[in-house]
Amino acid sequence: MAGPDVGWYLIVSAILFGIGALGVMLRRSPLVVLLSLEIMLNAANLILIAFSRQQGNLDGQIFALAVMAVAAAEVAIGLGLIVAMARRRLALDVDQADALRG
Amino acid sequence: MGNVLVWVIWFVAAGACLGTGVAVVSLTNPFYSALALIGNLASLAVLFLLLSAEFLAAAQVLVYAGAVMVMFLFVVAYLGGRADAPWAGGPPLLRAAAIVAAAALLVEVVVVLGLAWGDELTSPADVSTSFGSPAEIGEIFLTDHLLAFEITSIVLLVAAVGGVVLGTTREKEEGA
Amino acid sequence: MIAGAWICLLSPLAGAVAITLAGTRISRRTAGWIATLATFVAFAGALVAFFGLRGLNPDDREQMSTAYTWLAVGNFKVDMQILLDTLSSTMMLIVSGVGGLIVWYSMGYMAGDDEERRYFAYMSLFVFSMLLLVQAGNFLLMLVGWGLVGLASYLLIGFWHQRAEAVAAAKKAFVMNAFGDATFALGLVLLVWKTGTLTFSGVFDQVGSLDSTIVNLVALGLLGGAVAKSAQIPLHTWLPDAMEGPTPVSALIHAATMVTAGVYLLVRASPIFEAAPDVQHLAAILGAVTLLVAGLVALVQWDIKRVIAYSTMSQIGYMFLAAGLGAYGYAIFHLMTHAFFKALLFMSAGLVIHHLGGEQDIRRMGGLHRAMPKTHVAFLVGTLALTGIPIFAGFWSKDGIISSALATGGSLGWTLYVAALVGAFLTGAYSFRLYFTVFRGPESDFVAAHAHEGHGEGPRSMLIPVGVLTVLATIGGLVVIPGVWEPFLTWIDETAEPLVSPTVAQDYGTSAIAVTLAVIGYYLAHRAFLAGRQLVARPEIWRVLERKFYFDELYDALFYRPAAALSVNLRTNVEEPVIKRSLDEIGSGTITVGDEVARAQTGLLRTYAVALAFAVFILVVVFVAVR
Repeated sequence: MAGPDVGWYLIVSAILFGIGALGVMLRRSPLVVLLSLEIMLNAANLILIAFSRQQGNLDGQIFALAVMAVAAAEVAIGLGLIVAMARRRLALDVDQADALRG
Repeated sequence: MGNVLVWVIWFVAAGACLGTGVAVVSLTNPFYSALALIGNLASLAVLFLLLSAEFLAAAQVLVYAGAVMVMFLFVVAYLGGRADAPWAGGPPLLRAAAIVAAAALLVEVVVVLGLAWGDELTSPADVSTSFGSPAEIGEIFLTDHLLAFEITSIVLLVAAVGGVVLGTTREKEEGA
Repeated sequence: MIAGAWICLLSPLAGAVAITLAGTRISRRTAGWIATLATFVAFAGALVAFFGLRGLNPDDREQMSTAYTWLAVGNFKVDMQILLDTLSSTMMLIVSGVGGLIVWYSMGYMAGDDEERRYFAYMSLFVFSMLLLVQAGNFLLMLVGWGLVGLASYLLIGFWHQRAEAVAAAKKAFVMNAFGDATFALGLVLLVWKTGTLTFSGVFDQVGSLDSTIVNLVALGLLGGAVAKSAQIPLHTWLPDAMEGPTPVSALIHAATMVTAGVYLLVRASPIFEAAPDVQHLAAILGAVTLLVAGLVALVQWDIKRVIAYSTMSQIGYMFLAAGLGAYGYAIFHLMTHAFFKALLFMSAGLVIHHLGGEQDIRRMGGLHRAMPKTHVAFLVGTLALTGIPIFAGFWSKDGIISSALATGGSLGWTLYVAALVGAFLTGAYSFRLYFTVFRGPESDFVAAHAHEGHGEGPRSMLIPVGVLTVLATIGGLVVIPGVWEPFLTWIDETAEPLVSPTVAQDYGTSAIAVTLAVIGYYLAHRAFLAGRQLVARPEIWRVLERKFYFDELYDALFYRPAAALSVNLRTNVEEPVIKRSLDEIGSGTITVGDEVARAQTGLLRTYAVALAFAVFILVVVFVAVR
């Protein structure tokens, strides 16, 4: 393929995944957490497609397409949750949701 | 010559991707974060193109950047001023632990996958020009991976219903 | 005939079970009838068995009947078997006959009590247990009956369980009897070990070949049980307290039957005791000591039932004396006559108590011979029989025992002879003291105030049994007229050959002395009564006798206090710090650990996300490593 080998894509994808993970773990706004989640999903998509190209097998791309669809669904629900939270006048702060505290 | 161009484009796209990624995670205003994500998605689309995944690149831009992110922006706009929460807080060890965890995952992915498939990573297969074209994707989607197709559509349906349910609260709950 | 014996045994059991199962579905009176009829059916069975036995050849008069094998371990076998011989048939008649009369009497005495049904169930249980004891064909079954009568006694002494004194008395009786049961059981263990069997015939055949220490130990064990059950010194303190139970219970269990079980054991196991003569003589000595001590204490008691209780203790001392000297026939004869007149005395006392609304203190009584003429006659007959006035029942049996001591001779015989004669004097003294104080003299204020006008002396169910016993106490002794007619003695001799038989001259000579002494006792009691003072004048002596020679205090200091102190000590020093604390610490320790672990449950989404990330990291390493 033209350009870099799969290995380069792997590194980019890994870094992107790490960035997304950091965002999920460190941010307190649920919106930003959702965005970081999207980044992680996209990183996975990237590596899927990269490998698909390297193997010459379209299955990876199909998988990525399915991931995209699921991510869209998940974002819809996540945003719905956030809107419901805002409607209930709860602070949009992930740390406030500590009802599981033991 | 062409190869150099490809490399240049690759570096630009990859850099933009990572840069916007960092921006998403570190900007305080969620609106800006959402915009940064759109940039991220766009640069990813470029990378997809470089990987002969034309259909997916288009889908990425249309669906993801076009529909999902717009949805995001709607919500951010709706929630407005209430959406700025401070960067961090919580238990003191959390930051350190998070960075360690992320770094661990990162290194692991590279090292493990590299070690596992190291030899195979350097020889990409030869593919036809129609690799990754809508026709090919469509054909496979509707024959070999029909089940995935159907299930995905059900997932989307469920999500739609769920979204509606979450969105419509009863009026009396509002008032109470 | 054997069927009669089984019916005798099982009828009261059926009665007890029937009353228990019927519960509140039958009226209280019906429960009483069931118990009474069951006991009289038992008596009928005993009669059938008795006459059947009489019809047999004297050599055949030992009938065993086995229902089934109860346990079988290796060579050791114990059957559910009953033995019908002259001794057991006599005991069956006494237990079921006198028992039936007393149960009938209880119908009147206990009428109106809330828990009458329970009472009659327990009474039937008792009659069954006592019959099991006397009909058992082997030592183990006898021990079962032994324990069951102890149980029935405990249940019935503590019948009015709302009274703390009754509960305490029941416990005391049971614990003391448990000690006796333990020594009895240990004796049986030795028997099994050395002879390999527990049937009477099996043991008696082998007893001659056993080592003398073993035989002595076995005999001691059996004696321990007998002493506890029969309330002889030193295990006697439970009997006076047992008077907390209803009067019919005192009559049946603590006069006529259960306390005589010890005597029965001494006679039944006579081959063992004859092989251990020292222990047998010990039994006689204990009997003599008891009859003196009890007679002395009875001189100062104020409770009518307690006087009669000490009298029982004293008379059983006579029976132990007889059995200890080998005069088995007279021992059982006195057992029978004693059952008649002692039950009579208790039941008359019950009529008095009933009439006076529950009063038992004789200081508040007096002049009852006018208000209760029939009871007066009954009580007088009982007293005459007890003191051994001819021709009443006690005369024939007691004097036979005393003259057996004379016939034994030797230092032991003479000492016991003198003791028994002194006992006769004491018996006369305390019995007539009681009679005069309760029945004669002017009517006390209490009596005048409490007399049940126009109620008569009691219902028919109470008066008829008393009447029957009055007749028996009068003529019941006439089955042994020395030198003339001795069918009772020959009957018992078939099972237990006596070691000593007084001559006719010894018998009548002793009788003369004993009766004279009894009359002197009567005279002294009468004089004291007329003068309005007590027989025992000296306050120091009075105190010693009133405190019953301080036995209760001695046992309290010797046994109860150390045990109580030990248990308190164990509780504070062992249970609290060691056991309770460590268990508590397990609990609190778990809570502490739980709290520490719960700190991981921050509830914060982000910490969970971090945890997830780490987990994924580890899992991937694992998967790839495994691959």
